[in-house]
Amino acid sequence: MNDIGHDTSLDLDACAAEPIRIPGGIQPHGALLVVAPDTLEVLQASANLAAMTGLTVKAGDPLETAAPMLAGEIRRWANTDGYSLLRTLPVGERTFQVTGHRTSQGLIVEFEPPPPAGSESLDALYPRLGQFLDAVAGAKDVAGIAEIAVREVRELSGFNRVLLYSFDAKGDGTVLAESSDGVLPSYLHLRFPAADIPAQARELYKLSRTRLIPTADYEPELIEPPLSPVDGRPLDLSLAALRSVSPVHLQYMRNMGTGSSMSVSILVEGELWGLVSGHSREPRHVTAQIRTACDILGQILSLQIEAREQARRTADRLALKQVETELVGRLSAAASYQVGLASHAGLWKRIAGGAGAAVVSDQSVIAVGSTPSDDDIRWLAARLQEAALSEIALDSMAEVWPEAERFAAQASGLLAVSVSQLHSNYVMWFRPEVIRTVEWAGEPQKPQERGDRLHPRRSFQLWKQQVRLRATPWTSVEFESARSFRTSIQDFVLRRAEERAELTNRLVEINKELESFSYSISHDLRAPFRHVVGYAELLADRSADKLDETARHYLNSITEAALSAGRLVDDLLNFSQLGRAGLNAGRVDVEKLVAEVRRTMAPDLIGRRIDWRIGPLPAAWADGAMLRQVMQNLLHNAVKYTAPRDTAVIEISGEDRPDATAYTIRDNGVGFDPTYAHKLFGVFQRLHRSEEFEGTGIGLALVRRVVDRHGGTVTANGVPNEGATFTFTLPKRPPRPDTETQELG
Amino acid sequence: MADLRPILLVEDNPRDLELTLAALAKCQLANDIVVARDGAEALDYLYGRNDYADRQPGDPAVVLLDLKLPKVDGLEVLERVKSDPNQRQIPVVMLTSSREERDLLRSYELGVNAFVVKPVDFNAFFEAIQDLGMFWAILNEPPPRSRVDA
Repeated sequence: MNDIGHDTSLDLDACAAEPIRIPGGIQPHGALLVVAPDTLEVLQASANLAAMTGLTVKAGDPLETAAPMLAGEIRRWANTDGYSLLRTLPVGERTFQVTGHRTSQGLIVEFEPPPPAGSESLDALYPRLGQFLDAVAGAKDVAGIAEIAVREVRELSGFNRVLLYSFDAKGDGTVLAESSDGVLPSYLHLRFPAADIPAQARELYKLSRTRLIPTADYEPELIEPPLSPVDGRPLDLSLAALRSVSPVHLQYMRNMGTGSSMSVSILVEGELWGLVSGHSREPRHVTAQIRTACDILGQILSLQIEAREQARRTADRLALKQVETELVGRLSAAASYQVGLASHAGLWKRIAGGAGAAVVSDQSVIAVGSTPSDDDIRWLAARLQEAALSEIALDSMAEVWPEAERFAAQASGLLAVSVSQLHSNYVMWFRPEVIRTVEWAGEPQKPQERGDRLHPRRSFQLWKQQVRLRATPWTSVEFESARSFRTSIQDFVLRRAEERAELTNRLVEINKELESFSYSISHDLRAPFRHVVGYAELLADRSADKLDETARHYLNSITEAALSAGRLVDDLLNFSQLGRAGLNAGRVDVEKLVAEVRRTMAPDLIGRRIDWRIGPLPAAWADGAMLRQVMQNLLHNAVKYTAPRDTAVIEISGEDRPDATAYTIRDNGVGFDPTYAHKLFGVFQRLHRSEEFEGTGIGLALVRRVVDRHGGTVTANGVPNEGATFTFTLPKRPPRPDTETQELG
Repeated sequence: MADLRPILLVEDNPRDLELTLAALAKCQLANDIVVARDGAEALDYLYGRNDYADRQPGDPAVVLLDLKLPKVDGLEVLERVKSDPNQRQIPVVMLTSSREERDLLRSYELGVNAFVVKPVDFNAFFEAIQDLGMFWAILNEPPPRSRVDA
C-alpha cells in the first residue's frame, strides 16, 4: 500500500482553472444589482431581478427613478464608511433582505427573500452569541470548542448535519466534531483530501467567510450585461453571497447526497484553519441574519482557537526552553558539545521530542536512542549537505529519499539543523515510523474524469488506508526549539574557541615562567653543590696528612654526594630543555652516530669485556643531537646493567619499516621484572637499588621524551637476570619535496 | 713569555670567589688578581674611574666574568667592553653556573673570548681555571696597543 500521496494535479489544476470568482451568474434564490457608487446608475443586474423584485431597470437607468426609497437607503450607506449593508427593506410590493458591498466594479446589492415571520432577528441572536462565547471560553480544549460550535450552528441553521473540520499542513481535513440528526451519514473523524477544496476555493474561503448553497439543483441566473461597463471585465462575485458556485462543486454535493450546504471559515493567524460546514439532504435556506450570526460565531471560534493554540504553543515553548537551558548548562562543563550531548541523551532528545538523536561532525557520528546506523546518519548528512539545507523537518524521509525506507522502523521522521556553515556538522532528531490507519471519506486518490468534463469523486464510503513510513509530525514549536538549540551550540563552540585561545595564552605565560624557573635553578641550585665539592677538596688537600681513614672516608662521601646531586640537577635541566627546544630534524646516519657514542663511552669500558653485535642500521629522520642522547642513554644502560657479566653481549639492530625506522638495543644484563615495564620511563623511576647501579633515574624518561617529540614509540622488555630489550621507532620524514635533505649526525 | 698585567676577577658570590681564588693560587701565576664584586665595579676598574681613578693605567691580561651579577650583570659588562673600540681587545672569559644555551649564544654574539660552565667537580673546575690562566695570562700575547699603553 502506498503512503498518502497528494497527487492532486488532475483535480486541483482543473478546478484551479474554474473561474469561481467570476461565474457570470448567481444562485436563483436571490437577485443582484450593480450600481455606480456616485450616480447610482444601474450598471449590471441579474436576469431574475424584475421577476423577483418587480424592479424593471436596465443598464444605464438611474436607480433613483425606479426605486427612490431603495436608492435613498443605498446612498445613505454609500456615503458612510460602512463596508457592507444589511437591511430588511421594502422593494416594490415585497420586503427583502438587502445586502450590499463595495467593489471596484460598483456597489453590488443583493436581494434575498425575507426571513419567515417569527424567525429570530439579528438582535435576538446576540444573547445566544453571548452564551456561546461563555461556553467556548469554558471549554477544555479545541475539541471541546468544536463540540459546542457544531451544536450551536446546527441549532441556528437547522441543517441535518454540521461538521467542524480542521486542515493539516498538507491541506487534508479531519472532522473534529459533528452534530447530526441522523438523516445524513456520520463523517466524524473521517479525513477529506486536500483536493476536495481546490486552492482557489481555499483563497476565497479566506476572503468571504460564509457561503450558502440553499439547493444543489439550480440553474444560475445570468448577470446582464455579462461584462462590467466600468472595466469591461466579468463581474467579480468573490464577496457576493449569491455567487453561483462551480458545477463541479454542485456535482460533488449531489454525489455526497446533500441538497444544501453552508460553510463558515475558521481563520487562525490569517490562514484557513478549518471550516464549519452544514449540510441537509433537502434544499434549505438560511437567512442573512443567521448567516451573520454564524459568521460572528466563526470569528469567536477563530479567536478562541487562536488563543488556545497560542497558549499551548507558549506552554510547549516554555517547557522546551527549560530543557534547553538545563542542557546548555550541563554542556558548559563538557569537553566538547558532542561529548556533552552524548552524556545527557535524555535532555538532548527532549529538545525536539525525538526518540533518537545524533550529532554528525564531519565524518564522526554520535547517536543516542532510536536512530539509523552511523553509516546511514552520515548518508543523511551528505544528502542535507548536497541540498545545502541548513535545517529540515520531515515526517517521512522515505517520501524525499526512497532509500530511507531501509531504516524507517527506527527513523521515519527527521528534524535536522546545521551547526556549522563551513563543515558538514548537523544535530539531528529522529522519530520512528508510526503505522496508522486513516479513515478517508472515500478513496482520495482517484479523481474521476468522465468525457471532457471534470468530475468530482462520487464515493464517500469509508475507505481505510494504512499509513506507513511516516512518523508523528514535528510541531512548529519543536522546530523552533531545535533552531534555538542550534544557536546555543554555535555560542558554545565560539566560547570554547575563545577559551582555548585564552588557555593557549595562559600556557605560553606558564611556559615562560617555567623557563625562567629552570633558568634560575640552573644557576642557583648547581652553585651550592659546586661549593660543597670545592671546600671538601680544599680541606682534603690541606689536611690530608692529619686525617685518619674514617675522616677521609667521610670527606669522600661528602664529595660524592654533592657530585651526584650536581649530576642530577644537570640531567633534570637537560630533560626540561628537551621539552622546550625546537626539533631540528634532518637525516641522521645512525651507524656513524652509534660509533661516536661508543667512542665517548670508552672510559666506562675500561676493564670490561663486551661483545658488541651491531647490525646494519638504517638512517633516521631526527634531531641529531637529541637522537645522540637517546643512544647515549640506552647504550650507557646496557653497559651499566651488564656489569656483573663476565662477557657482556650488547646487540644493536635496525629495521626499515614502511612508515618508520626501528632500532633495538638488547643486552644480557640483569634485566628487570616486566611487571614494572610501564614505570621504567617515568622521571626518577628506578627498578634497582642505587647502591647496585648508580644513576639519576632520568635517562629513560629522557629517551621517551625525545622519541615522543619525534612522534615515535618506545617499548621495553625484560626478563630478570637474562637481559633487557629496548626498541624505539622514529617516523619517516613526511614527504616534502621542496625541502633539501640535510645531512646531520 | 709571561704577561704580568693583573687578572680582573668579577664575582659576587663569596664562596665562588674563594674557590676561584684558591684555584688561581694553585696555578701559581705571578699576576695580581683584582677582584670586583659587581658589574659596576668591574666597569669602574676597566675605565679607571671612581674607586679606581688612581689605579695603574693599562688593561688587565684577562677578565674572568661571572654571568649573574648585581647592578650591572655579566652580559651587560661584556657588551660594554666589546662595543668599545678602546676596550674590545681585552680578553673576556665568561664563568657561569648556567648551562643555558641562550646565555652561551648571547655571549658569543657579544664577542666573548671563552665561555666556561663551572663544573660541579672541583678538580675539573681547577683544571679549567688553570687552563684559562695559562692561556690568557701567560701564553696570550697582548695586542700591540696595550703594550704601548703599559
